[in-house]
Amino acid sequence: MRLTCLQENLNRGLSVVGRAVATRTTLPITNNVLLATDQSRLKLAATNLEMAITCWIGAKVEEEGAITVPARLLTEFINSLPNDKVDISLPLQTKTLELKCARFEARISGVDAKDFPPIPKIEQGITTKVEVEALHWGITQVVFAAASEESRPVLTGVDAEFDGDLLTLAAADGFRLAVYKLSLATPVSQKTEVIIPARTLAELNRLMTDQEEAVEITVNPNKSQALFRLKNIELVSQLVQGTFPQYAQLIPQSYNTRVVVDVAQFLRATKTASIFARDGSGIVRLVIVPGGELTPGKMTISARSEEIGDDVGEIDAIVEGEEAKIAFNGKYLTDALGVLRETQVALETTNPSSPGVIRPVGVDNYIHVVMPMFVQW
Amino acid sequence: MPIRVLDQEIVSRIAAGEVVERPASVVKELVENSLDAGASQISIEVRGGGVSLIRVMDNGAGIPSGEAELAFDRYATSKIGSLDDLESILSLGFRGEALPSIAAVAQVDIVTRAADEPVGTYLSLRDGAVVNRESQGRSQGTTVTVKNLFRKVPARLKFLKSLATENSHIANIVSRYALAFPEVKFALFIDGRATLRTPGSGQLIDSIIEVYGLEVAQNILEIKDKGWESGTAVSSPLVTGMVGSPAISRSNRDYLSLFVNRRWTNSRLLAWAVEEAYHGLLMQGKHPVAVINISLSPNEVDVNIHPTKTEVKFQNEHAVFSAVQKAVRQALIKLMPVPKIEEVATIYGAPSVPRQGLPVSIGSDSGLTPSLSVAPPTPAVTLPALRILGQLLSSYIIAEGPDGLYLIDQHAAHERILFEKIKDQRLRQEIEVQGLLEPVTFEVNPKQEEVLKSHCENLAEFGFSIEPFGERTFLVRAVPALLSNKDWAEMVRGLLDSGGDKGDWVEKIAISIACHSAVKAGQVLTDDEMRELVRQLEQVAIPHTCPHGRPTMIRLSLGQLGKEFGRR
Repeated sequence: MRLTCLQENLNRGLSVVGRAVATRTTLPITNNVLLATDQSRLKLAATNLEMAITCWIGAKVEEEGAITVPARLLTEFINSLPNDKVDISLPLQTKTLELKCARFEARISGVDAKDFPPIPKIEQGITTKVEVEALHWGITQVVFAAASEESRPVLTGVDAEFDGDLLTLAAADGFRLAVYKLSLATPVSQKTEVIIPARTLAELNRLMTDQEEAVEITVNPNKSQALFRLKNIELVSQLVQGTFPQYAQLIPQSYNTRVVVDVAQFLRATKTASIFARDGSGIVRLVIVPGGELTPGKMTISARSEEIGDDVGEIDAIVEGEEAKIAFNGKYLTDALGVLRETQVALETTNPSSPGVIRPVGVDNYIHVVMPMFVQW
Repeated sequence: MPIRVLDQEIVSRIAAGEVVERPASVVKELVENSLDAGASQISIEVRGGGVSLIRVMDNGAGIPSGEAELAFDRYATSKIGSLDDLESILSLGFRGEALPSIAAVAQVDIVTRAADEPVGTYLSLRDGAVVNRESQGRSQGTTVTVKNLFRKVPARLKFLKSLATENSHIANIVSRYALAFPEVKFALFIDGRATLRTPGSGQLIDSIIEVYGLEVAQNILEIKDKGWESGTAVSSPLVTGMVGSPAISRSNRDYLSLFVNRRWTNSRLLAWAVEEAYHGLLMQGKHPVAVINISLSPNEVDVNIHPTKTEVKFQNEHAVFSAVQKAVRQALIKLMPVPKIEEVATIYGAPSVPRQGLPVSIGSDSGLTPSLSVAPPTPAVTLPALRILGQLLSSYIIAEGPDGLYLIDQHAAHERILFEKIKDQRLRQEIEVQGLLEPVTFEVNPKQEEVLKSHCENLAEFGFSIEPFGERTFLVRAVPALLSNKDWAEMVRGLLDSGGDKGDWVEKIAISIACHSAVKAGQVLTDDEMRELVRQLEQVAIPHTCPHGRPTMIRLSLGQLGKEFGRR
């Protein structure tokens, strides 16, 4: 193998695949990154067996070949090089990768590429395309609601339902539920529902930041793996097997109180209260008071802690319905409010022990349901 | 065989069997006599496991020459005179059985002189009868020599254990009295070897150093009963003595010495009260070191249950139990120091013994009680200010304190913090509860079902909303907020499997929640998190152990560091 590429490109490529490099593993080769020539490009690939990222960068290939080398070592070395041409060569019959850039030279011992776990190829199945921006917002607004704890594996993933030209993303962790609907650029041929690991989507979101072309999504026929194809990047992920809860029934259909407030004000008041709630389980208490004929409605956001003290914030609100009191884990509120793009948000409640519903005002494609905390008032 | 009254000789042998069970019983009876005679020095010499020779010498009151023979008559005693005296026994003996019982199974020689007599009396007895009597010179006091114990009772002899075992029983008995009477100078010689020597200084700590060694003495805490200080409450039980900090736990109960009015007892009730006070501070299967005396009015306690008087009955068991438990617990919580890292290498030479002015707290005759304990803890704050240095193995927090290096187990420490918080919240009925978006079905096996049904209410107090939902299935609607991001189902299962009605469920649940919601070993903590953890640990009542009894922290003192590096 002998080729030349630019330090800048190689560095970027390594940082793209780097996130799929296994950290704690029993299979040491997954700590390595695969370098292989692919026609006139250099292919970089890494996998942790759950997710694999492949990235192609432009290169002048003089001799074909492939090798794997420790990912961290190579990444750190390349990152420290000046922005110049990098000559990469692997002498025949050896496993030592030689790198040259400006006046630096390095040799890195590698492991045969044949031992690298094969990266699944997904050529058939359900295919569709989604605009980058829509998908980015969809992922941002649901992915945090997935469970971090693994007792119910399906909840560690995001449920994705492809139906015609509509994609519904949903995540829940037992205490909250986020549902986002977005349209597909090309409709799917048949209705498909899969559960994508939240980590995969978080990585995909990161990879999409400097992308403009629509993302191509392919789910293999037995719905065990999915491929996300971006420009010069492919991400293949295992899918979570199982049945996602029927979440539609969890979304309350009615409310007794609906309050509309400014997102930024609500977020600030919640964050302030959370500072005082830190000692406990982050309980933030909301009291919603309807306005009179001349006075506006208001919502107070408060927290108290035995040892520290307490805090009360008040914001103006448009209140529909009766006075209400409800307590939430402040983190659940800030998580949800923090990802909204809209300026106004509605909170709908029924009673202090029924779920609260957060809907941005002006759009109807996002719903966030949060279960309250039961407290003494 | 016709019914007939037994010979005097047989009767006394049978009766002797109750009092004199083994050589150690002889030692016990003789030492008690010496103590009752007001001796300030008692020397015990033993040979051949006590079978060949037991000699007890004291400087007590002595027996007047005219009464010497009488002392060997059954039921002859100087310690009580009337039935009423039985109600208010303060002396260790009173039944008048010891000397005749011993004389029935061994050769006994006695030399004694009372204070107001010019010359002492020597008596020699064989099979309980006086065979020789002479006048003999002796300083005031009594020497009893017992030889050839059980020679005439082969059955007993056969059942004696090895020499070493009998010796250890004897040492045990003497040690216990040495602890109970720190003002008496004890000396024990076993086969010519000085085994125990207490200074008789009146300081309990001095006796503890001799009996249990320096390590125990350095880790012992003094019990101060409040009633004592205020001078009230004579009628209620007064608990005094010293208890070992949990750092020096032992794997059996031999280190638990309990006295009632300075009489050694093996009362299970008291032992239980002490262990109960250590609840949550000791690891399972570990037992505390403690020397405790309970003083109470003699008519509140009955010691006359068995001739050996090691069993006692209290009129008000409950009051005694709670007094002991409370006193011990208070001492522990107030004074418990951070356990120190075992010394890796010890430089030869006796380290300085901390002989601070410790009062005798056993007994009812010591007046004032200055309040310094041996292992110097910081009195007001239980933990010194700690500066976080870093995290070790993602499991332990390393911190610097004014007196050395502290290693804190992050899981155990957090567990203790949460445990106290949960208990506190429950008391105030302010448990933080997180509702579940969708009720979760929880399936159990038949055994778990029974346990769950009977403890549903306990779980509810902690924030679990669990209701029956068909056969062997329950519906969970809410969980404690602390567990909201943890595997609470796993926790409840573990709890249900831990056994049915055993133990205190409220505490069990609190421990379980704390354990499951605490940070785990292996979790990387940021500096701020560690600082916060230590700050919270400083505020809990018992920061030194986790609720399971494992230590939360160990200390490497400046002295040890200096020593290890050869700086001193």
